[in-house]
Amino acid sequence: MSSYIKASAAAVVLMLVAGAAIFLYAPTDALQGPVQRIFYLHVSSAIAAYGCFAVVLVGGVIYLWRENLIADRFARAGALAGVVFTTVTLVMGMLWAKPIWGTFWTWDARLTSTLVLWIIYAGYLLVRRLAEPGRQAARFAAVVGIFGFIDVPIVHFSVTWWRTQHPGPIIVNDALPPEMLAAFLFTLVCTLVFAAVLIGIRYRIETLQDERETAVAPAKVVPAHQPEAVP
Amino acid sequence: MNPLRVALAVARKDLRSEWRTRELVPALAQFIVLALLIGNFGFQIDARNANTITPGILWLALVFAGLVAFGRTFASEREQASLEAMLMTPASPVAIFAGKALAATALLVICEAVLLPALNLFFGADISGDVVAAVLLATIGMAVLGCLFAAVVARTRARELLLPLLTLPLWIPFIVAGGLAVQSAMGLPGNYQQAIGLLIDFDILFVVLTSLAARFVLDE
Repeated sequence: MSSYIKASAAAVVLMLVAGAAIFLYAPTDALQGPVQRIFYLHVSSAIAAYGCFAVVLVGGVIYLWRENLIADRFARAGALAGVVFTTVTLVMGMLWAKPIWGTFWTWDARLTSTLVLWIIYAGYLLVRRLAEPGRQAARFAAVVGIFGFIDVPIVHFSVTWWRTQHPGPIIVNDALPPEMLAAFLFTLVCTLVFAAVLIGIRYRIETLQDERETAVAPAKVVPAHQPEAVP
Repeated sequence: MNPLRVALAVARKDLRSEWRTRELVPALAQFIVLALLIGNFGFQIDARNANTITPGILWLALVFAGLVAFGRTFASEREQASLEAMLMTPASPVAIFAGKALAATALLVICEAVLLPALNLFFGADISGDVVAAVLLATIGMAVLGCLFAAVVARTRARELLLPLLTLPLWIPFIVAGGLAVQSAMGLPGNYQQAIGLLIDFDILFVVLTSLAARFVLDE
């Protein structure tokens, strides 16, 4: 069994245990009822998305600085995983908003900036696809990834900078009962492990794709001192 | 080579070629009038609601005219492969980029010189000095970002598609702050001072970031 299969099996098991913690261990919210259980994965995947985009940022900076291909592959992997986690955050948030706020969507600063985050990194993935593969795609995408990261603090602090429908930070404000906090922290750790495994697997795929691309069209080496014979 | 002189020379070249061909500015002016026309029919504007809708139409028209303008920023360079020639000179890529951005800003300002009077003429909007200041401040940041991503998409496939997808999300800060400033200048609720402060902050942030990134986008 390859280490990748082992790691993904472990990540899936961890997520299942987190699910058990969310549904069996954590108490039901007195006001909102069972729907509040969305909270655990919603917030965890938002934090995982921040982490993934931080990987894109750091990978992009290192790539521009050193032209390091490994950094670029990590950036690619991080962007894809980050878009997945942002999607999860948005969808779960909408499912939670419908029963509690009475609407799936409202143009509140945090929702809007999260949607913009999703669009920016979806654009990042498009640049990778549409630019000439190799150095150019990596450079352009690195620039998009670095600029795009400006939105991450905006998303994070939007609840304190503006008056939003979305609730403000409740973890740091110590507003959770201990069982809920424990379930949340456990889910957070599991989600971060899951994200790391996703990035690791994606990194492997990107490496294999890079190798295949260079293998299909091998560079033709013609020594300078030995010109090809003209018939 | 003095970077400032390089930038001014590149900007002058761009504006002179636009002056000689007179392609882009008339087309953009027409585009803006068409956008106002669509705004009129889309919103059923009359004397009662014009006041609340005009700020929105201002930004919609400006943003989309800007996209059209930036889509053309590197078009002539691409068609004649003159960017490569410029990059082969000892001039720094950042200076060349600054020149392109300067010319693009000038074009966008010309668009605004059409848009703002037209808003006054067609919708009776009150275009005060405060409105002009907010729009001009937003123009700086929008122009450097638009120019940066125009340089990126100039060398990708499907560039017409990619330019708005990359540029619009990053223009949003300017639309948020500029929108607030224009709304409050036009008599709707909002804190004008705060919005202008935000616009200046974003201008500084994106001018600095773009000047750092320009080298990687232009340099081969």
